[in-house]
Amino acid sequence: MINFNDLKEIIPLIIIAASALISLLIAVYSKKSGMPVYVFSLLAVLAALIFTGLNVTKDVIIISEMLRINPYSNAFCMIALLSVFITFMASKDYLEKLGINFGEYYSILLFALFGMMTMIYANDMLTVFIGLETMSICFYVLTGLLRKRMKSNESAMKYFLLGAFMTGFLLYGMSLIYGATGYTNITKILATYTAIRTPMFLIGLALFMIGFFFKIGIFPFQMWIPDVYEGAPTVVSGMMSTAGKVAAVGTLIPVLITLNLVEYKMLFSILATLTMLYGNIVALSQSNLKRLLAYSSIASAGYIMVGITSMSDLSIKGIAFYLLAYVFMQLGAFIVVSVFENSTPDGKDFRNVTFDEYKGLAKRSPVLAIALTVFLLSLAGIPPFAGFWGKYYIFYAAIKSDLIWLSVIAILLSVISVYYYLKVIVYMWFKEPEGETSGEAVPVKALSYAAIMVSLAGTLLFGLYPDLFFTFFKFLIK
Amino acid sequence: MTLVFCRTYLSLLMLINYLPVILIMGFAVLLAVVMVKFSTLFGPQRPNKEKQSTYESGMEPIGSARDRFSVKYYMVAVSFIVFDLEVVFLYPWAISFLNFPPQQMLYSLIIALLFILILVVGLIYEYKKGVLNWD
Repeated sequence: MINFNDLKEIIPLIIIAASALISLLIAVYSKKSGMPVYVFSLLAVLAALIFTGLNVTKDVIIISEMLRINPYSNAFCMIALLSVFITFMASKDYLEKLGINFGEYYSILLFALFGMMTMIYANDMLTVFIGLETMSICFYVLTGLLRKRMKSNESAMKYFLLGAFMTGFLLYGMSLIYGATGYTNITKILATYTAIRTPMFLIGLALFMIGFFFKIGIFPFQMWIPDVYEGAPTVVSGMMSTAGKVAAVGTLIPVLITLNLVEYKMLFSILATLTMLYGNIVALSQSNLKRLLAYSSIASAGYIMVGITSMSDLSIKGIAFYLLAYVFMQLGAFIVVSVFENSTPDGKDFRNVTFDEYKGLAKRSPVLAIALTVFLLSLAGIPPFAGFWGKYYIFYAAIKSDLIWLSVIAILLSVISVYYYLKVIVYMWFKEPEGETSGEAVPVKALSYAAIMVSLAGTLLFGLYPDLFFTFFKFLIK
Repeated sequence: MTLVFCRTYLSLLMLINYLPVILIMGFAVLLAVVMVKFSTLFGPQRPNKEKQSTYESGMEPIGSARDRFSVKYYMVAVSFIVFDLEVVFLYPWAISFLNFPPQQMLYSLIIALLFILILVVGLIYEYKKGVLNWD
């Protein structure tokens, strides 16, 4: 029996769910302008962010033990909310530019956010599944939002088919875990785990993890990422690569850390190595910035995997910080791309996404160039920016749990990544602009500008004062 | 490791209990195959045009079934499924409503109303988008 007092613990979830429904109604009743629904959804996400922030230290199990609100899940939820908030800020201008400013976009994104939060808060495998599916189905729709373009449709189809297939793995894993333990409740499974370490359970767990590795983009399941991120609208790619990853990692990590899977440690380190290797090596040969960012997203998944392999409280702290930094830098980079990007004259493809078109951006729009430079340097892990501390904490945790070889590999591979990030920077700052629009400044609307500034501020702030994060999330250090 | 093998062996032994089920399934498949195959093998076959049409005593088929349908059919189908499922979910609730303890009645009523409300929002959306307008 659920009681009404439980409802006040999940105010952020209720806010997001209700505003997703209301924004749908606002969208159909104000057909002419996209402004009301835009403002409404921004305020809704902000309200949910504030409510989660106010109750961040709560630790309760509610709604028939279906949801668990605890500091960890609150921290990951706040990062996901932040990512969607920044995405919303930049969305309106971008969607108007491409002529797809449907009010439904905001509603679907809010539903996706609801799915992510449900998933992170879930304390039951079925709740995990419902949250994951709500999120995924919204992602499929958002990927195909440019419905008149072949590429967008192709990527939506690819994502949908692969995603549905991987959901099968996840469900089969869940059913095996249920068969081995007799519970779907995660707390109970974790409590009895030592008694039932049977092959059936381990196989079930492996299948369960495969479902999540697909969403995060760990090595054998990463093929969809570049294609999907390239075809999707750019702000959506940015959101999927940050918020989607935060949600999947935030759900998986507490389970894996509690289980303390010594059996899988070697496997995890190999997967981490392969993921970093694949992401960083293939990124070297890219000439399209959206694809480059997609591969860098795979590489980041590898760094997160290093954190997962270490399996300590220290590594949760590192992963949480890395994800926060990642939201600012990756989303910021995607938003800069979305501002600069344009449609080809026939409206069938993206323009201004290859390196050649970035030549001399510094002369045309110095602010955009500076912002993108900061984001890319931060992704590469250059010290005064947030990305450096993210990597620092993750590798520190790995060294502390005797994975020195893995951290050496990770550091070497992130040195490789500097090459392709610097390549873009060289194109922007040291080459002359070409083509018919070479002299003009890139037009930037105020709202996208604000979104870029927020990301820039976050990258710098958490780079210069990493302690800020840990003073707010004190509980991450035990 | 030995323990693991023992357990696997034991669980295989458990499967023996399901042997009758497997036998029945095998028999059912066999029976179906035999009946269909034997009647085509030994039965008289004198096909003509009428016999080979899709419905021997029905309408003449027009064109291929793999045709493009108006998108409105899908809209109706989607709305139908949603409200059909709504009935499926509300039916057991309605049946057991009077058996709830009195203090839970209000609560369950509110939950059911919330469920309907979510669908009503979808219906309003459909209506405003003109999905229900058929011409």
